[in-house]
Amino acid sequence: MAQVMMKNLNKKYDEVHAVKDVNLHIRDKEFMVLVGPSGCGKSTTLRMVAGLEEITAGEIMIGDRVVNDLPPKDRDIAMVFQNYALYPHMTVYDNMAFGLKMRKFPKLEIQKRVQEAAEILGIQELLRRKPRQLSGGQRQRVAVGRAIVRHPQVFLFDEPLSNLDAKLRVQMRVELKRLHERLETTAIYVTHDQVEAMTLGDRVVVMKDGWIQQVGEPLELYGKPANKFVAGFIGSPAMNFLDVKVADANGALWAEAHGLRVKVPPAHTSRLMPYKGQQVTLGVRPEDLQLASGSDPSEYVFDAVVDVVEPLGSEILLDLRAANSTIVARVEPTVRVKVHEKTRLAMTPDRAHFFDVNTELAI
Amino acid sequence: MRAATTTRRRDIQLAYLLLAPTLLLLLTVLAYPVGWEVWTSLTDLSPLKDGPPAFVGLANYRAFLADPEFWRAAAVTVVYAAVTSVAKLALGTGFALLLARPFRGRALVFLAVFLPWAYPASVSVIGWYWTLSPPIPTAYSVLMGNIKYAVDSAFGGGAWAFVSVTLFNIWRGSSFIGVFLLAGINAIPPQLFECAVLESKSPWRRFWLVTVPLLKPFFALAVFLSLAMAFADLANVWMLTGGRIVFPVIGTHAYWLAIRGGQFGAASALSLMLVPFFLVVLLVCFRIFDPPEGTGA
Amino acid sequence: MLIERTWKKWVYFYIPLTVFVVGTLFPFYWMLITAIRPDAELYRSWRAATNTPFWTLQPTLEHFRDLMAKTTFPQWLWNTFFIAVASTAISLFCGLLAGYALARLRFPMAGTLGTSIFVTYLVPPTLLFIPLANIIRTFQLGDTPWALILTYPTFLIPFCTWLLMGYFKTIPRELEECARIDGATRFGAMLRIVFPIAVPGILSAGIFAFTLSWNEFIYALVFLSSPEKKTVPVGVVSELIRGDIYFWGQLMAGALLGSIPVALVYSFFVEYYVTGLTGSVKG
Repeated sequence: MAQVMMKNLNKKYDEVHAVKDVNLHIRDKEFMVLVGPSGCGKSTTLRMVAGLEEITAGEIMIGDRVVNDLPPKDRDIAMVFQNYALYPHMTVYDNMAFGLKMRKFPKLEIQKRVQEAAEILGIQELLRRKPRQLSGGQRQRVAVGRAIVRHPQVFLFDEPLSNLDAKLRVQMRVELKRLHERLETTAIYVTHDQVEAMTLGDRVVVMKDGWIQQVGEPLELYGKPANKFVAGFIGSPAMNFLDVKVADANGALWAEAHGLRVKVPPAHTSRLMPYKGQQVTLGVRPEDLQLASGSDPSEYVFDAVVDVVEPLGSEILLDLRAANSTIVARVEPTVRVKVHEKTRLAMTPDRAHFFDVNTELAI
Repeated sequence: MRAATTTRRRDIQLAYLLLAPTLLLLLTVLAYPVGWEVWTSLTDLSPLKDGPPAFVGLANYRAFLADPEFWRAAAVTVVYAAVTSVAKLALGTGFALLLARPFRGRALVFLAVFLPWAYPASVSVIGWYWTLSPPIPTAYSVLMGNIKYAVDSAFGGGAWAFVSVTLFNIWRGSSFIGVFLLAGINAIPPQLFECAVLESKSPWRRFWLVTVPLLKPFFALAVFLSLAMAFADLANVWMLTGGRIVFPVIGTHAYWLAIRGGQFGAASALSLMLVPFFLVVLLVCFRIFDPPEGTGA
Repeated sequence: MLIERTWKKWVYFYIPLTVFVVGTLFPFYWMLITAIRPDAELYRSWRAATNTPFWTLQPTLEHFRDLMAKTTFPQWLWNTFFIAVASTAISLFCGLLAGYALARLRFPMAGTLGTSIFVTYLVPPTLLFIPLANIIRTFQLGDTPWALILTYPTFLIPFCTWLLMGYFKTIPRELEECARIDGATRFGAMLRIVFPIAVPGILSAGIFAFTLSWNEFIYALVFLSSPEKKTVPVGVVSELIRGDIYFWGQLMAGALLGSIPVALVYSFFVEYYVTGLTGSVKG
């Protein structure tokens, strides 16, 4: 049980600056997810915590020890890898016992712990098999089992679910969450999948190009993205972005673009005042767009042409053209529209986001 | 920014520790001898001569360049290397293509093909000697004797020996190249071949357009190894000609000078004159084929 | 796979295959026939009416018996075996450690060292036997097995190092990283995880090294002189050919017996050998 602190953490390879000034405080027992597109530095950060990559500059603390110069084996951590990294020449039992054997645990204690972990994960029958006789899901469980028998201070997960098929991934996700609640061990989890990040994380770190973009609880990232990147990365389908001009008319602010004119919601008015007459980016999530009905206030309605209709059963995704760009709306499954049909969309006013065009920060 | 961390230092230490035995051994039995040889080639060192060896500069080299015997040996060496390499490559590719597809008894055929290489050369060479130049009146020695006589009189003395050494080298080397190329073919994803079958009907075109380009790095290394071995060949020639200089290549020439004649200085110079051959071959092979790193075999 | 007509299969496959196999195996058959042919038949005039060049009617083991009893052949076998095993062991040991360092560790000059080790493989014995003969004389190792055990690694180590390096590169890094997190040092992870997984590669490097040292000729010819110290390849050639007199039967018997160990090694490990080779090249 321990907290993990990163102070001004940097990683430079010969030409690439992979991790830039990362400051992060992961609390004891917290499940922290690092998410971002490939090459954003999330895996490198994790590997520095593990001791598999040297730290170019900065400091990492696990518990109250600075671990910069500790080899991986002395950091009291356990790691689950994307390709599981099971030792092919050992049985499942030996795989799970390896870490304990290396630490010279008594034989009985090893047996007890391996049995215990196997029960938790439901792999008792597999203990005598070799890794190549296991399915993907079983390997995944063994890899997790190998981590938990050690009772480490911190669990590290490097995209552990990426090699599983979609259905199994959802199932393992739930199991990992349950496991974490049961074991109450600090965990750092790296993924490129924002759904995994949202569902698993107590808090989520969004990274891009080596920088931390935002740290927060999942709903905080979703509701109040700090910048355009986070807004576009979290949520699926991604948030729609429209380039609009802020105009002043009739005592209110309006966001205008080609064929589009919507009122700036009152909550944003004061903050958008300085941008009067300038370009900003308007962000609207697909689920905050609906086909307009008579009861919608007309100042939040605009014209659009249907391009593609994607019925998903529980909902319909509409690809539309509006204001010279493509936008996506997520609408009720009962809606009936045809391709090329002209239609009117209404947006939920208090869910609109505005971003500075240059800094891309939320306004 | 701090300098190398402790972890990094430990890694570097471990690396040198692991390399130490290899480097030590290679330095003593390789680097030192090569250095010694370069120095010796500039002297007239000979165990038969009393007193310290005298420094003679490039005299040994100059003597060889002026010696028609040397040029004959050099020419023979080049022809020998070229002929055997081409034949070995062609036959080896044939082996590899035949064995690329699974069929019943492939393991046995594989073993049969590999046997000439795995067999001690000095021993199998006797089998060939016995086959090609039976020195006593056995079953068909008269026939072989007639062929030998015909070949020798048509192309000059030693021609038959040249033919037999060449045949032996091809026989022994093509099996190795075959196995080597087979490894290369196995490393190519089979989808590429299947795709090619859809693209072109002619197997010949498929071979040149798909197989050859994909195997390029393997060909490069095979050609190099084959040429290098032929240039440096001493054992095969020496054994197959019974240690008589009927057919001098540079290797046997040096052996005679050093071990039989005791002229270490001259022999060293002669051996070193092989080096330019190697460098040229190495450069050409790697220029043309550009093999990737890590295909050492 | 395309359906091919039968005659095509014969022309393009079976006939060339048969030609190849017969071509490669004929000299061995010839050796075998000579080895079991009685002397009377061996040295008979080719005009004799009962001449049977391609087979024999009275097979005999007399040459094998003579070889074992009248020559030091058993001693040569033992010498060769001892030298081959010892030099293979040394080379594998060095090759494993060096191959691992080159494949996995980052250190200054890694590339240069890797290339120079590879280049040493290309330095032919023809270049080296003269200075090595001088060194061996200086250390008074001449005419002892150590002369060969210490010189064979010059061509075995580079080969083993490169083959194993290629093999190590095919082993996922994560396995080692996981072991290091699990509590092993780098060295420990190498011993407990990487080496056991690399067994096919190690075996094929070992087989290769064993064959090369078993077959080696030049160094053995130059560095050994007493008949009872010789190795099989040199002994057979130098002791069973006296001037122009060839003891054909015994020569062939020795040739066959002397290569049985190598043939055995190959037939047992041919699978490993091929996987080792392909594995390394893929890397």
